[in-house]
Amino acid sequence: MRALWTVFHLIWRDQRRALVRGAVLTVVVLVMGAALLGLSGWFITAAAAAGLAGAGAVFDVFRPSAMVRFLALGRAAARYGERVLTHDATLRALESLRLRVLASRLHAPYGQMIRMRGAQVLNRLTADIDALDGVPLRLVLPVMAGVMTLALALPVLWVLVSPAVALWGVGGYLLGAAVVVWRMGAVAVPLSRRAELATQAFRTRLIDMIRGRRDLAVYGHLSAQAAAVMAAEARRLVLRRQLDRAERKTTLALGLLTTLVVAGTLMLGILGVQSGQIAPAFAALGLFAALAMAEVLAPLRRAASDLGRMADAARRVVRDVTAPPPMALPPVCAAQAVPLAVQNLTLHRAGTDQALVRGLSFDLHPGQTLALTGASGVGKSTVLLAVAGLHPLADGQILLQGQPLGLWPEPDLRDRLTLLPQRSALMAGSVAQALTLGNAASDERLWQVLAAVQLDGVIRARGGLDFGIGPRGEGLSGGEARRLVLARAVLRNPQVLVLDEPTEGLDETTAAAALRGLRQVLPDAAILIAAHRAIETAMADRIISLN
Amino acid sequence: MRDTPSLPLKAAPAGAALFAPGRAAQRRAAVLSVLAGVVWLGQAAVLAWAISGLLAGAKVSVLTAGLGFAALGLLRVALADRAEAAAQSAAEAVITTARAAFVAREAGLAADSGQTGAGAQAALATEKLDMLVPFVTRYAPARARVMVLPLIILALAFWQSWAVGLILLVAGPLIPVFMALIGLAAKEASARQMTEIGSLNDFLVERLSALVDIRLLGAGQAVQDSFADQAGDLRARTMAVLRVAFLSSTVLELFAAIGVAMVAVYVGFSLLGAITFGAWGGAISPGAGIYVLLLAPEFFQPLRDLSAAWHDKAAAEAVQAEWVAHLAQPARPLPGAGAQVSRLSGPASVELRGCVTPAGQALPHIVIAPGERVALMGPSGAGKTSALRLMAGLELPEQGQITVAGQVLTAANADAWRARLGWMPQAPHFMASSLRQNLALGRKGDLDHALSVAAVSDVVAGLPQGLATRLGETGGGLSGGEARRITLARAVFGGPDLLLADEPTADLDAITANLVTKGLLAEAARGATLVVATHDRALAARMDRIILIGGKA
Repeated sequence: MRALWTVFHLIWRDQRRALVRGAVLTVVVLVMGAALLGLSGWFITAAAAAGLAGAGAVFDVFRPSAMVRFLALGRAAARYGERVLTHDATLRALESLRLRVLASRLHAPYGQMIRMRGAQVLNRLTADIDALDGVPLRLVLPVMAGVMTLALALPVLWVLVSPAVALWGVGGYLLGAAVVVWRMGAVAVPLSRRAELATQAFRTRLIDMIRGRRDLAVYGHLSAQAAAVMAAEARRLVLRRQLDRAERKTTLALGLLTTLVVAGTLMLGILGVQSGQIAPAFAALGLFAALAMAEVLAPLRRAASDLGRMADAARRVVRDVTAPPPMALPPVCAAQAVPLAVQNLTLHRAGTDQALVRGLSFDLHPGQTLALTGASGVGKSTVLLAVAGLHPLADGQILLQGQPLGLWPEPDLRDRLTLLPQRSALMAGSVAQALTLGNAASDERLWQVLAAVQLDGVIRARGGLDFGIGPRGEGLSGGEARRLVLARAVLRNPQVLVLDEPTEGLDETTAAAALRGLRQVLPDAAILIAAHRAIETAMADRIISLN
Repeated sequence: MRDTPSLPLKAAPAGAALFAPGRAAQRRAAVLSVLAGVVWLGQAAVLAWAISGLLAGAKVSVLTAGLGFAALGLLRVALADRAEAAAQSAAEAVITTARAAFVAREAGLAADSGQTGAGAQAALATEKLDMLVPFVTRYAPARARVMVLPLIILALAFWQSWAVGLILLVAGPLIPVFMALIGLAAKEASARQMTEIGSLNDFLVERLSALVDIRLLGAGQAVQDSFADQAGDLRARTMAVLRVAFLSSTVLELFAAIGVAMVAVYVGFSLLGAITFGAWGGAISPGAGIYVLLLAPEFFQPLRDLSAAWHDKAAAEAVQAEWVAHLAQPARPLPGAGAQVSRLSGPASVELRGCVTPAGQALPHIVIAPGERVALMGPSGAGKTSALRLMAGLELPEQGQITVAGQVLTAANADAWRARLGWMPQAPHFMASSLRQNLALGRKGDLDHALSVAAVSDVVAGLPQGLATRLGETGGGLSGGEARRITLARAVFGGPDLLLADEPTADLDAITANLVTKGLLAEAARGATLVVATHDRALAARMDRIILIGGKA
């Protein structure tokens, strides 16, 4: 529930002006609706009374009937304006919310990033945020407008009809609705959360079944996986039924509330007229107003049924929307400072307190190549991640151009230092698009870089820079994909280039030529390599073993 | 649930049949919802009777009026509740039947159907099918109310006063005309919006899988900017759809308001005595006047409900079209059910005689004896991978015959044959469960042995949570060579009699390739038959025999 409020606050801050205007129009719509029906009831009844009394000729029909026309047309216009205004504002606010979630995902800790499943994050960005449009549109604005309308109705009915009718009508709707919504929230929020988990399980298991169908079939696990998919659906179904029942209860309760309030108003009106305190026309006004005020409850039905889904989505989205990273100013650094200096570095294994690397120190100068060696699992990759600012330091420090890594704003850091991780993703698009993901470059430069990593021949044979790569790099062999992402990193032209097993999947000749080419196009870069083969250590000026 | 692999291909509901499972409940919902609407006519009568009684100065019983209104209200709420329950169960029947059919169909296929990826298919089976719910629960009852309630109210109005009846008769039919005009515009706008949503999702899902690279290349801002552009476009299109929807409901509201106002003016003047025609006995009585005034808004209400549900219908039609298109995609059934059964007896031999793959490549006559080590070589696309799939019984040949363990391979014995296989695909897929579950896949076996044959014991020990670690979809958290060795461990785990490996050493450096080769040969040394499809001459040289597929290697 607090998450819902946070979400509304974010939306409000983003689109305050439009939402205030929308809220005012919402109140106008409700007030005009109540006034319209109340006035019509009074008008007819008063006209009948005048007719019965033979005073039809002196009864002023024009002002009330003009008022009725004004209210009817004004209400429709206000409704249109209110809808367009609030929907537009909400969509805009959700758009910026989506951008913030995307941004926060881009700054998530590395360990989380590599395990992110595209489909799940997509769900967060689309379905979850879409669910939140109800927060202003179906929850907060209607409730605020409803409360304000009822607050306005109280004195009007008090004066025109009777205090008893005013208190019964307004109080009944206000208290009744509050109880119903509160009850629904208490039931629906946890249920929705569990139903969402079941839906996610269904989705993940189904995707696994489709992507891994051959493996599953060979190992005789396909029908078991299909059963697991349907088990998730069965679980969702049970929860969905409970949610449906809760929604029906809410609708039922709101319906009963309306009936009771109107019946009570009717009885109070009859008593008032019969005791001579109220004129029949004003009793009718109260009755019709009570009927019209039921419209205040109408959006609550949708709000109550969406409440669980919204609260659940809000909880996940709020967790993602971290404060934007502070925009530090790029440190002023001496041009001649050492590009990369690692001092007395201690690193822990990801997520543990267990020391992996202890007391590592080295300086890396322009044009120098340093290879880190050691058995698999000794911490080479972790050192590289730490150097790229993606792994926390337990002790010691890393200086980039003389400044601690943590002081660099993200864009400046990435401009100066590029890491090629062990695995890279390629997206569907042309070779040129894949290469220029990080920065634009001329075709000439692209060919130069492709030549450096020994890929120009392959790409030329397939039709040049426009050659289309399929989703997930389909159409390229593993070795070709590796060289392409290497070229992409080189194209960044960084002062410090950090490579994690850059030649994995390349044969000896190609690997050696690619590493030589790399050095030729980046003669002044400081290069740090996590090396696992002799060919990689051979190009290094210096070797540090982590064993 | 048990899946019957041959049936679901035909049993999946298509088109209108999609809604068949919920039809009975939907009809019940429609009837109940109409009845609930009818009860309001009684409630309005109580109100009109009470007010006109007060006007006439007659003795109106507080209890009769209040309790009468409340009792009818109770009945109405109860009927509406039952209608909603029926509508919910109709929606449930539609969705779960479709979903079960979808899963059963997918589980019975040999390969992905069409071009859509697993993510898009999952989206169809989850949130898109869910978009049918509002159509079933809201649109269908609203349509039933539109067909009945306005007619009843019209009849009541004519009964009380022909003038009021005439006003409603004129105002009513104008509404469907406008609705149809606006509906056309709405449909076009919402189709454009749907396309935009689809392309935005495609844009996102790939970028989201490449977030690390985007960040490391400093491309975060560029990706955010282009996302912002696309999202802005989508918002503009969504607003276009909404504007049409809002406009249509505003038009409706105006017509309703004008209709009600005309009724009110007629009734008002009539009661004042300024108009003396329109009712059957001269001027209208106060009670009848109040009654028709209470009914007039209800005459328009079902139409407004229907227009509010219009968007649900458009969305449901879009989903239905996608569903039909999905089912129309050509699909090849998987031989067997992919269930665990006891192993097929007989020697671990395979013979492909005169086989043509599903893609139409003719394969040479292949005979592999038990315990043999064979390399399939040949140019890319010649059918090496298809030959392995045929041997594994994952597909049946277009022509020709496969004999395994001395029997003809058919859908009936495919499961039993596959129980004897080890399988190393070219690209690993890791399920969203622990590494241990990914290795075992429900089978029993010796995990430590499998890990050591594949030389990954140390790799697994180095993972943050060991065997309990969850890896990324394509093995995120491991290097490519490590992921490959995990699939070798998985193949070795069941103690296979025949090991089929597709390009086991492609893209691996010499050291890792050697580790994988050693693991494969160790299995052969144990007595397993070994078939590798490969371009790697070093690996092929260590086999007993090379079979060329599709010309010279």
